[in-house]
Amino acid sequence: MKIDGDVCIACELCVPYCPMEAISMDDVAVIDQDECVDCAVCLKSGVCPVDCIIFEPAPWPRSLRTTFSDPRTEHKETKIAGRGTEEMKTNDVTGRFKRGWVGMGCEFGRPGIGARFRDVDKVAQVLAKHGVQFEDKNPVTFLMEDKKTGKLREDVLNEKVLSAIIECIFPIEKFKDIITALKEVSKEVDTVFSVEVINRADPDGSYPLRKLLEEMGIPYYINGKQCVGLGRPLANV
Amino acid sequence: MTHTLHRRGTKESLSEDYTVMMLQSVGINDEGHIPKIQEFLRIALRHNPKNIGSLTMGGMIDKPEEVIANASKIGHAVFDNKEAVTEVLRELKEADLGISVIVGGIFENVDECLEKAGLKHHTANFSLGVWGKTEKLPGNDILEVTTMCGHALIAPNLVKAMVKEIKAGTKTPEEAAKVLMPNCACGVFNPARAAKLLMAMAK
Repeated sequence: MKIDGDVCIACELCVPYCPMEAISMDDVAVIDQDECVDCAVCLKSGVCPVDCIIFEPAPWPRSLRTTFSDPRTEHKETKIAGRGTEEMKTNDVTGRFKRGWVGMGCEFGRPGIGARFRDVDKVAQVLAKHGVQFEDKNPVTFLMEDKKTGKLREDVLNEKVLSAIIECIFPIEKFKDIITALKEVSKEVDTVFSVEVINRADPDGSYPLRKLLEEMGIPYYINGKQCVGLGRPLANV
Repeated sequence: MTHTLHRRGTKESLSEDYTVMMLQSVGINDEGHIPKIQEFLRIALRHNPKNIGSLTMGGMIDKPEEVIANASKIGHAVFDNKEAVTEVLRELKEADLGISVIVGGIFENVDECLEKAGLKHHTANFSLGVWGKTEKLPGNDILEVTTMCGHALIAPNLVKAMVKEIKAGTKTPEEAAKVLMPNCACGVFNPARAAKLLMAMAK
């Protein structure tokens, strides 16, 4: 995102709209290009009275900032808008998360801090060492040089985005080791990440993972989301 | 794309915050899905949602026909009580649209809605919270508002600016919540809950 300095009237109205605090005031408003994630919140808010906020599509790798930060854009490869995939939302028809398995998402930069891909890379490599299967349709997986190591392409590591999600699955027996490793590596990242886990219900409607979380003393939010099985055709999971 | 997970708040506040969404699955049931998403939105509108949206049509609860006309891929609706959620789920079960439905909210309350609507758990997504450099986060009161836009498009500084305006008497909490709402592109922001939170911050 850029400000046309010849047009800006220095009204400061756009400043609080930036989720990354990348807009500051000089004689006119200025956007810190390294911190800006090209989410276009400032532009799309319509707050500028003289229309001096400009978006010009950037070349690779900066182009990643928009596709990961603005949910109104679609990833060419996955045809899915935003940072992740359908994940558990459509599990009733995709059957991606089967009984006995856990889905995990690590959403970097969320809530509201933003993240560089170098932090995503650090955690992805740790998860890869534990043999997780990365989600093929996830846009972070597309940035991996090798899904076996989790290593991301060197040229994207310094790019900053509002958020990016690592999505993976693994057998529930590995949960304890993986969560322990994740806790360790979380001390080495320079941002925050929100962690979520996904589980298919047993025939009696209970979630084995919930039981495991409680046994291990791992706190989870009282609120969450559930797919309620109204999709068709139903997957056999 | 976990945009309705990780909403922060107390049990009391979250008991007035539910999301219901319908999402087609690429390559499985995406053919002819748009009329079904539109029907979902019409069902939701019969039960006084606090917000509705489709892919890029967030924050347009005042223009529901426009949202329905431009619906695509995903439909969202936000409610402030479990009775409305129960009725929406009942109608969705009856309508049998064949597209996945996902409900967000306090597990205990959503379970009650599912039972009353005759639906079962299929798959759950649990939030284990925020890890890493949490000292970089803004205060919890701000996060309770901003995490209602899971794509993080509502800036903490805009929330602070709205609190200032409420304190100064230049905006009511409801007006301030309406300034925040359109920044959430999908329409999963709950302006009714936000107004209460903003009012509490302004005290």
